[in-house]
Amino acid sequence: MYEEFLEDIAQTNGLREVNTYLKLSAGLGAILLCLLSQNYIAPLFIAIVLSGTILLLAKIDARTYGGLFVLPLTFAIMSVAVIVLISGGEETFWSWNPLPWLSLAVTQESLNEGFFVFCRVIGGMSALIFIALTTPMTDLFVVMRQCHVPEVVLDLAMMIYRSIFMIMDQLVQIYHAQVMRLGYGSFRESIQSFSTLCGAVFIGSWSAGEDLIRAMDARCYDGKFAVLGETRPLEALPVLTVALFLGLSMLLVFLARDLTIMGAGS
Amino acid sequence: MEGYLPWQWCVVWWFIALPCLVFGIYRLKKVLEMDHEALPLLGVTGGFIFILSSLKLPSITGSCSHPTGTGLSAVCFGPWITSVVCAIVLLFQSLFLAHGGLSVLGANVVSMGIIGPIAGYIVYRALRDTRVNMYLTVFLACAIADLFTYITTSLELALATPAEVGGITSSFVLFMGIFAFTQVPLAIVEGIVLALVFKYIVQLKPDIILRLKVFPEEKIRAARGEA
Repeated sequence: MYEEFLEDIAQTNGLREVNTYLKLSAGLGAILLCLLSQNYIAPLFIAIVLSGTILLLAKIDARTYGGLFVLPLTFAIMSVAVIVLISGGEETFWSWNPLPWLSLAVTQESLNEGFFVFCRVIGGMSALIFIALTTPMTDLFVVMRQCHVPEVVLDLAMMIYRSIFMIMDQLVQIYHAQVMRLGYGSFRESIQSFSTLCGAVFIGSWSAGEDLIRAMDARCYDGKFAVLGETRPLEALPVLTVALFLGLSMLLVFLARDLTIMGAGS
Repeated sequence: MEGYLPWQWCVVWWFIALPCLVFGIYRLKKVLEMDHEALPLLGVTGGFIFILSSLKLPSITGSCSHPTGTGLSAVCFGPWITSVVCAIVLLFQSLFLAHGGLSVLGANVVSMGIIGPIAGYIVYRALRDTRVNMYLTVFLACAIADLFTYITTSLELALATPAEVGGITSSFVLFMGIFAFTQVPLAIVEGIVLALVFKYIVQLKPDIILRLKVFPEEKIRAARGEA
């Protein structure tokens, strides 16, 4: 019913033992540079380097990794099409005015803009997926505590984290049971079954959550989940690699400035 | 989606989202100090928002349609706490499923965590003490929360990519038109589903609904057939 969570992969990836801060600075730095970049080269460079890292160093299966891009790329292609059609420009290749307030045109500028946004999305997505695949949430909780995220937020985050897995478990079981009994035959039945499913799972995981809190209260819970975190040491080679990667990307962002695929343009 | 919005807009939406989140955290502290047992309910609501909003349908606008599930939380805990829950859920979504993203998190929190729930909450407050059926109120609040989330998303997208002719208004109408195909039916279905979930809660575990004073006691008793 659902895709495998990236979390499961992240727990066993090849870069699991690398310092969390280092992985985060590589990922977040890449996202930031993608956003700041005015040309398409830098995001593409970031995408290639990070994809290489994910495939070769983190040893993520290429098919799994590719599969993650299917959905965002579909969105990206469709949205870029909209940008290309509505953003306009001077050098017009094709245009159409179906309604007085709407004018669609393909221009040199809009193609440039569309390709640029497309590359930015690819770069940003690979950075995001890099963080998602190499850093399990449990490590992030440690970082969040060290960064003084308010305790309530952290508590709530862990509670939600836990309930997601509880809900998924029950959801899949009950859903299969319903499908076996032809619960999704017609539209009406689907709504009915889906609501029953949600209701039952909601109440079920809620009670499980209450049990958890009660069990923790009995063990002196004071509104603060204990997080077992070991910070892994920073090693010279990985730090240098990340610095080199971010430095090179920054160079591309500033040197290539507003290079465009079709030339000219603004 | 990561990298879709230009950085200027990312910053703007983060700036709008942050004060709301800070206020939400303050409210959250208050509620948890008062009622420790609200934490499991908040956790499950968050988990539900996560599951419901991962059911995605592609849409042509740099975003996609999905149920939001935020209405129920807005009704039970108010819009500010919902915004905190939503921010956490959206963070999980980008890291678990690679949906959404970190740079656009601010924009997503504004549409799904702030404007949507506020709209739903207004509807709920308006109808709460009237004679309107309790489940109908929940249905309307959830459906409206979902619809307003998408109106805000369209606005966010339109502001980032104004059309050449007609500017922001025309791209806003365009994005809204595209979303409307999937989102109006989805909002209705979501409203029905969440109203039914609410019915289960009222029938099986009404105590917390009573303690949070979500609906007047008589109404809940009447719905349980105890009156």
